[in-house]
Amino acid sequence: MNIPKQPINQRILKYLITVLIVAGSIWSASGLEITPERFLTAPSKVWILVTAMFPLDLSQEAIDRIVPKVGESLFIAWAGTVIGAIFSFPISFLAANNVSLNSFSRVTKQVLNVIRAFPELILAFVLLPITGLGPLTGTLAVGIHSIGTLGKLSSEVIEGIDEGPLESIKSSGGSKLNELFFGVIPQVMPTITSYWLYRFEINLRASAVLGVVGAGGVGAELINQLRFRDFPRAGTVLVVTILMVLIVDTISAAIRRRIIKGREIKV
Amino acid sequence: MIKVPKKPLPSLLTVIGYPFAIALTIFSFFQVGFNIEDFKRNWENRKLVTDTLFNPKWEWAIENASQALLETIQIAILASILGCFIALPLSFYASRATNQTTVTYLIYKSFLNFIRTIPDLFWAMLFTVAVGLGPFAGVLALVMFSMAIMGKLLSETIDSIDLGPLEAAKASGAKHNQAVFTSALPQILPNFTAYFLYIFELCIRASVILGLVGAGGVGRIIETQRIFLRFDRISPIIVLILVAVITIEQFSVWLRRKIL
Repeated sequence: MNIPKQPINQRILKYLITVLIVAGSIWSASGLEITPERFLTAPSKVWILVTAMFPLDLSQEAIDRIVPKVGESLFIAWAGTVIGAIFSFPISFLAANNVSLNSFSRVTKQVLNVIRAFPELILAFVLLPITGLGPLTGTLAVGIHSIGTLGKLSSEVIEGIDEGPLESIKSSGGSKLNELFFGVIPQVMPTITSYWLYRFEINLRASAVLGVVGAGGVGAELINQLRFRDFPRAGTVLVVTILMVLIVDTISAAIRRRIIKGREIKV
Repeated sequence: MIKVPKKPLPSLLTVIGYPFAIALTIFSFFQVGFNIEDFKRNWENRKLVTDTLFNPKWEWAIENASQALLETIQIAILASILGCFIALPLSFYASRATNQTTVTYLIYKSFLNFIRTIPDLFWAMLFTVAVGLGPFAGVLALVMFSMAIMGKLLSETIDSIDLGPLEAAKASGAKHNQAVFTSALPQILPNFTAYFLYIFELCIRASVILGLVGAGGVGRIIETQRIFLRFDRISPIIVLILVAVITIEQFSVWLRRKIL
């Protein structure tokens, strides 16, 4: 049987990628002074930490401290997502090149790229002296970062719409504004709402971390307990956080699926 | 006469969902505590930030941070490669299309879901305690991070592959593993490459902040300067990071277009 050979440039590309991956990891590992032995001994060290965490510290005092902090992370994430959603929504129309002017769209996109490039934590500690230690700083950091990411995602949704409805509105005498409200928004709303929820899930993880710099949430609790070597309590913090994230993820994923699929309407 | 169908009643989701969302929003903003008095008082502090932030000390940053920035990039490279290649076999076990055994499917799936719930910096904190401060902890943290994302993305891609080739391989006598290797793997390789580049970008971004908890990279320098409010030293580092991130992003976008 005659099996056709892979074209030569594809084979070269394949070898090139393999070499790149191998060389990249060796270069990085040697630069960081990481040896295979360290990887082999790591699991046992992690296991020591895990066993130190159990049994968890479930005393009333610990629960009373930890649960409100986890709740605070949840509220930071939600408030930040709302800020992101409210501001990114109009901006995303400016950024979409089929709705807004070409030059506008280009400038807005670049602005969004710059906003997106700052991690929440860096935003948080730059804002910290101005807005003070506490959850407000975290909320603003999460919100600003979300404007960047949601703006980019939403504008891409708007760019991908079906032009048909717009044409039919135009041909029946609708204005530009009518096109926007009856042609564009109904088409993009389900996807954009599901992106908002998706962003909320991501922000939840981000806001849990923000406490490290003192911007509110459960992160401060975890890092303090680990520093004081109070492993059972650190374990409790972890478990409560994981439970909260799992529950919120499950609910949010179910709602997203329902939004995208739409309701079955019996006629 | 055109018969216009009646507008259906609002669904349960809208009836409960909207009021709930609005209530949660109001409650959250109260909890977060926007206090105008505090805000006014702190607003005076803005000079602390603005005076130094826009007065970057470039020489200092290049002298002290370039080594750490390189470390950051190395952490991201090593971690994303390891994480993604560990996730590759795992995701075949965590997909319905290539794993018919319910028990193992559920185990792998929930394992991937579990590691996804822990934020990247939490992993970093845990690993710094377990294996000591330094970049090795950062690498391990990002391995978990990239493994979780790759596992989720890839197992969902495998769920939607064309099952025809798999069946054909099995019909001609291939074992399950052989069938997966020859007919499922080639279908997802382009996606794998695209996801890998995407995760590499995420890792570069994430590795910047690892140093805040002592897990190596440029974050270490940011952390020490941040405590002393030396934003004049931090801002050039941030610009350097931005340049690195955007360059790598552009490169990966170019490569993705080339491959797909």
